Amino acid sequence: MHKILEVENVTKYYGSGSVITKALDGISLTVNEGDFTAIMGASGSGKSTLLNVIATIDRVSAGMILVDGKNISDMRENRLSAFRRDKLGFIFQDYNLLDTLTIGENITLPLNLKRIDAAHTEKELLRVSKALGVEDQLKKFPYELSGGQRQRAACARAIITNPALILADEPTGALDSANSKNLMKTFELMNQSLNSTILMVTHDAVIGSYAHRVLFLKDGKIWNELNKGDRSQLDMYHEILTVMAALGGDVGAH
Amino acid sequence: MVLTKLAARNVKRQIGNYLIYFITVSLTVALLYAFCNMLYNEEFQRYARVMVELRSSLRGILIFVSLFVAFILGYATSHMLKLRKREFGTYLTLGMTRKNILTVFILETVIMCAAALALGIVAGLFLYQGIMVMATHLMNIEFAFAAYSFQGLISTVVLVCGIFVLASVISAVYLKRVSIYDLIHGDKKVAKVVRFPVFWLLVMLISFCVILASGYRLYFELNRSIGNTNGVILLYLILALGVAVLLFHIGLARSVTNLMLKSRRLCAKETNTFIFRQLSGKLGSNSIMAGILSFLIFFAIIGSNMSFWVKVSQMPAINQYYPFDISARLDKENGDPAINIDDAKKVIRDFTDIEFSLPYNIYTTGKSDLYSMTDWSTYGYKEFKDSFIRESDYNKLLAALGKKEVALNGGYRIVSNLPQVSQYDFSNADLKLGGRIYQFEGFSEKMPLTVDGYFFAVVPDQVAEGMSIQSECIAMNVVDNGFDVEELWSALSYDHVIKNGPHSYKDSDFNIREYIILKNKVDSAIFIISMLYISIVFVFMAMAILALKTLSELSDDRQRYSILYRLGTGYRELSKTLFRQIFSFFFLPFALPIILSIPITIGCAQLIKLSGYDEIVGLFYTSSIMLSLTLIAIYLLYFAATYLIARRNVLHEMS
Repeated sequence: MHKILEVENVTKYYGSGSVITKALDGISLTVNEGDFTAIMGASGSGKSTLLNVIATIDRVSAGMILVDGKNISDMRENRLSAFRRDKLGFIFQDYNLLDTLTIGENITLPLNLKRIDAAHTEKELLRVSKALGVEDQLKKFPYELSGGQRQRAACARAIITNPALILADEPTGALDSANSKNLMKTFELMNQSLNSTILMVTHDAVIGSYAHRVLFLKDGKIWNELNKGDRSQLDMYHEILTVMAALGGDVGAH
Repeated sequence: MVLTKLAARNVKRQIGNYLIYFITVSLTVALLYAFCNMLYNEEFQRYARVMVELRSSLRGILIFVSLFVAFILGYATSHMLKLRKREFGTYLTLGMTRKNILTVFILETVIMCAAALALGIVAGLFLYQGIMVMATHLMNIEFAFAAYSFQGLISTVVLVCGIFVLASVISAVYLKRVSIYDLIHGDKKVAKVVRFPVFWLLVMLISFCVILASGYRLYFELNRSIGNTNGVILLYLILALGVAVLLFHIGLARSVTNLMLKSRRLCAKETNTFIFRQLSGKLGSNSIMAGILSFLIFFAIIGSNMSFWVKVSQMPAINQYYPFDISARLDKENGDPAINIDDAKKVIRDFTDIEFSLPYNIYTTGKSDLYSMTDWSTYGYKEFKDSFIRESDYNKLLAALGKKEVALNGGYRIVSNLPQVSQYDFSNADLKLGGRIYQFEGFSEKMPLTVDGYFFAVVPDQVAEGMSIQSECIAMNVVDNGFDVEELWSALSYDHVIKNGPHSYKDSDFNIREYIILKNKVDSAIFIISMLYISIVFVFMAMAILALKTLSELSDDRQRYSILYRLGTGYRELSKTLFRQIFSFFFLPFALPIILSIPITIGCAQLIKLSGYDEIVGLFYTSSIMLSLTLIAIYLLYFAATYLIARRNVLHEMS
């Protein structure tokens, strides 16, 4: 199986002098092509820091991260931007859609940044907007859409460049339960039909239960790992709750 | 006490946001202080009695500029308030009263005002000396260190405090009315689709045509009526120009970027869509402001050009209109003069010796045969009667000026100071005088207009003998010009009572060249200093508004650029995008005045040529280019400061 993400002994410190916080403590993990992985943990466990260093938005203090075989830990800033643009797709809790751009313009922005020609961009826009059911919203502005529709538009933007890895940071954080379930169906669709590799941070056990594999973080270390295997989603959900109870953190079990 | 501490901390933390605002207020204080000092400078006013005019003119300008500055600072203060409305909304949710918040905001404003007042007054001390160097140079007065006036200082403090009270009242009204919801959520702007961009493009193009047409008409009017400009027509033209400039910017803001957004090929390139959308939103909501700023910069450019025009054409004009040391024209229709020529000579001899005096008469037939060949015979112009001078008198004047005498060869010649007179065709204007016909022989040497009209004709002596005398004239040169010109003018003046009224003013029929030079220098100094002062205020204020507008929207921009960064836009690309966005926004109100300054300068130079001062056209062009370059430099400086602050704020975390 092709390895999309390899995290090797990554450590991340914040602060300086006597006030140093160790946010990540020698984490190692691998994500294969087509995986749908969730990272869970209590507040302050380091899950967002891990996502940020993989997303190249933050730098590691020690260790190495390889995405699609390329070491991003010591990559220069200008190459990192291009790398982010070409290899990664992002889905954020607050959608991060540009309020001044229409939904269509938001979705095609990554292709514009890659200087893809207008005809090809148009073709790709049709493909992803149809796949995610936002083709009727393309001329609207983000404020005209519901939270669920906005997040689907953000998903469309994340997959339009066919990235090696999609990073989702609390993607259902701003959605109600119905919209959250719909979004997870979308993630499953992206994962199964479009073969997208997804790494998702969440504190919600229901949302985590959609993933094939769940990593639990505590104090900057991987504390436990669950693999869905042939289990049903409900079984996976109960397993997650059990692990979280053992984890001892009140991480908002529903 | 708690509120005072909160206000002091807020000022400290908000210094980045307030920087441009603070610089602008300080500069405004400096400009006001320098001007107030000049207004109350006693030594400066002692130089000449005509300075009374200077003082009243400067006071008028000060009131105008103060009102303008009050409006701008009121606008800027309310803008700063809106920039922080989410913060104030949070205070309200925490239980602070509106009165508490207003107190905090006013305390912050007072701290800012006091600091800006102190810095502005220090800067004003130097600026005042600079203005005085310029003013004394323009008036040919020797410059000595200018004393500072206590009255000037008090006036400045009162003015600045008044302006801030006004700004605080505007803020208080806003804070009293606004709801907590609007404070917290009101700044979430939503993008609006501009409807009918093609219609707005048409508005823009039509407005541009109106600008060009009114500009041409203005030029035509000034050209046709040099020395007799029709104020009402000029006012209408300037009004049309102002409305057209405003509509042009509204049309431009609502059409160009929206039409560009329709081009898929253009939008597919990097961050173009983002820039067009950013500009579309910003320009759409600021189009009226951009139009007003553009008009102000327009005024600054035209005003400064005009002031240089006045400066460079001043002495050639005086030399042309008053070639003799003392000259007079006593019109017969006014009855007996208050001081006749013989009495005047006696008065003059008390001051200086007369080198020569040349008496001559201007004659008239009482008809307008020659004027009927010109535009000045149409409705709306005074009905001038043709004026004539004897050949021998005219040659006498030419000889005294060292010029070649003319021969009439049995015809007549037209003489005028105005170049456009030569554009009229007099070839068919045969004069029937004393039973003989005299044909037009051509135009003659430029001469002072010693007639009540635009030109006169030189005719053989015997022809003039049969006409009635229109005016008795005299031209003389004195041995020494070192006499007290104001005293002599006073001695040759009388009280002119205004018809049907109790008012009178001092007037004289005798033109003393040195007195005219002095008076003109004072007038031109007032005009030049006023124009440059107003231009500087306009340009600074225009730039301050643009900078404040740009900086006040930084928090929204920061979020948007952060998204672009996460999507893979590099720092260099982000800097380029931010630069293009701010540059376009900054350049919009500046572009039209700068582009149109080229035809304005050419038009002014043409008018100078038509006024007969070809020799100073080069100097005028040089002055205009220097002026445009200075304006561009100031503008770029402000733009660069704004861009660097914006880049630091928006892209700081991404570098």
